[in-house]
Amino acid sequence: MLKRIMILWMAIFMAAFLIVACGPKKKKAADESDKTEETKKPAYKSNGDEGTVTGKIMLTGAAPAPKRIDMGQDAKCGEANSNPQTETYMVSDGKVQNVFVYLKGGPADKYEYPVPSESAELDQRGCRYNPHVLGVQAKQDIKITNSDATTHNIHPTPTKNQEWNESQAPGSGAKDKSFSRPETLIKVKCNVHPWMTAYIGVLGHSFYAVSGKDGSFTIKNVPPGDYTLVTWHEDLGEQTQKIKVTAKGSVTQDVTYNAKTAYLPTSMNMATVVLP
Amino acid sequence: MTAARVNKGLHRAAAALACATVVLLVAGALVTSNEAGDSVPDWPLSFGRWLIGSDQFKANVRFEFSHRVIAGAVGFLTAGFTAAVWLSKSASKRLRMLSSIALCGVILQAMIGGLRVLFPAHKAEIAVPHALIAQSFFVLVVAIAIVTSRSWNTAAQSRTDAEGIGLAKLSATTVGAVLVQLVLGAGFRHGAFGITPHVAGAVVVTILIAVTTARTLRDHGDYAYLRKPALLAFGLLIAQIMLGISAYVARVRSTAEAQPLEPMVSLTVAHVVVGALTLAAVLTLAMRSNQILASRSEQFELRSRALAE
Repeated sequence: MLKRIMILWMAIFMAAFLIVACGPKKKKAADESDKTEETKKPAYKSNGDEGTVTGKIMLTGAAPAPKRIDMGQDAKCGEANSNPQTETYMVSDGKVQNVFVYLKGGPADKYEYPVPSESAELDQRGCRYNPHVLGVQAKQDIKITNSDATTHNIHPTPTKNQEWNESQAPGSGAKDKSFSRPETLIKVKCNVHPWMTAYIGVLGHSFYAVSGKDGSFTIKNVPPGDYTLVTWHEDLGEQTQKIKVTAKGSVTQDVTYNAKTAYLPTSMNMATVVLP
Repeated sequence: MTAARVNKGLHRAAAALACATVVLLVAGALVTSNEAGDSVPDWPLSFGRWLIGSDQFKANVRFEFSHRVIAGAVGFLTAGFTAAVWLSKSASKRLRMLSSIALCGVILQAMIGGLRVLFPAHKAEIAVPHALIAQSFFVLVVAIAIVTSRSWNTAAQSRTDAEGIGLAKLSATTVGAVLVQLVLGAGFRHGAFGITPHVAGAVVVTILIAVTTARTLRDHGDYAYLRKPALLAFGLLIAQIMLGISAYVARVRSTAEAQPLEPMVSLTVAHVVVGALTLAAVLTLAMRSNQILASRSEQFELRSRALAE
């Protein structure tokens, strides 16, 4: 009898492991990873005729009110923030901050671009990630610092790059990290303080920007060619526009999101809710 | 086993271990519901130490570190219990085997918990088996508490089960279905898949527990030894359905929040724990019905053997 129970239990255990390990979510991630297999590209040679892409990100309709964050679990966080609120919608006069804007297609995907020697910076200050949205080139160093008087952990959750999770005590040295493959966008979490999130856009080039407080963005040194301008917001989602950059030209492309037709995250779908 | 072999001390220790395991299940559910599983990135040490200071015991670290401490305590209790069983002269071979399996289970569970921390990229693949072993360990400890109890050791095989799928087989099937359902719930909580498999499992388990309870009341309603666990399982099922719906609604409503908040956390934790208690109740019914119920042909065989002797 006991032997039969043990065999049955082992069968359930193996079935559970296999279903989870080979489930649809994993397969999807693997498929996406295959599509971005790097191929050898020629190095880009500048002709000195690069242009500029500028624009503004705007929102029509009322942005959802920010939610209050309960930082009472960690006194150090509470002290640093008198009225902590979510950063999902940073909207002022209809101008949207923290939208990741980048180019794809055309010369952006055709050439290999040198990796910037300067590091991108991600700081933990006031129990928040600063900046909230960050762009880097693949293999570019990211200097991660902790300016708080409390321990954080940094936990990026990519699907195409290596996932890692490390803690960073107050006063400890900076961590130098990088992502080897392009991926838009990687969510970064602090599992000690669950409200702390950041997003890192990793590209094969440096034709990206993050919209500022006035919603504006500027992408410089863009080789002439036809591109798709992609804008990404953590809740409003993604929009694409076709643009043409001429030699030494300047393109202005504003992008407008509609708050009323903002997409609902898949977690709102009753049939497909998946927990983070 | 006879009444002479009942060891009150072992039974009480097994019951205490089962209670400690419930506390551990609560601690584990709090870790998952608060998304605290990765808050301490090293293992078996925590931030490089066995015991962390009060400066680090805050926010989500409280849940993860408490889970580790309680798990360690349950591990030591299990080791102590197993040693006591092996040293006890009245312990049966079966009890020794069950306690040894429990000890192996708790060690395996600790290792899998460590892998879950060290390999965050494989969260669901490791966390779901971790949840399955947690529930299985709990029912194993409950089974040990049952077989060391006075009621188990004084009950005789005295009742007739229905031919075909009798209560013994039906209740054993229900135990398996509830265990699978708990795995589906863990898969949903850990993001391996959506809610649909868990809801489908809930329908199956509801039907099975309802039929098992009805069969118990119809055929053995006069016998408290079977009636009590059946009614307990049914009561827990009702509570579990209510908790499941409430927890899901609270979770959907809180998707826009920056962090896990009440009442979602408490409802989810209660849902996990009541699920484990439901499993324990149907296990009790299954063990007892398999112990005392015999089909007509089995009874005929027993009587023939008795007459021949």
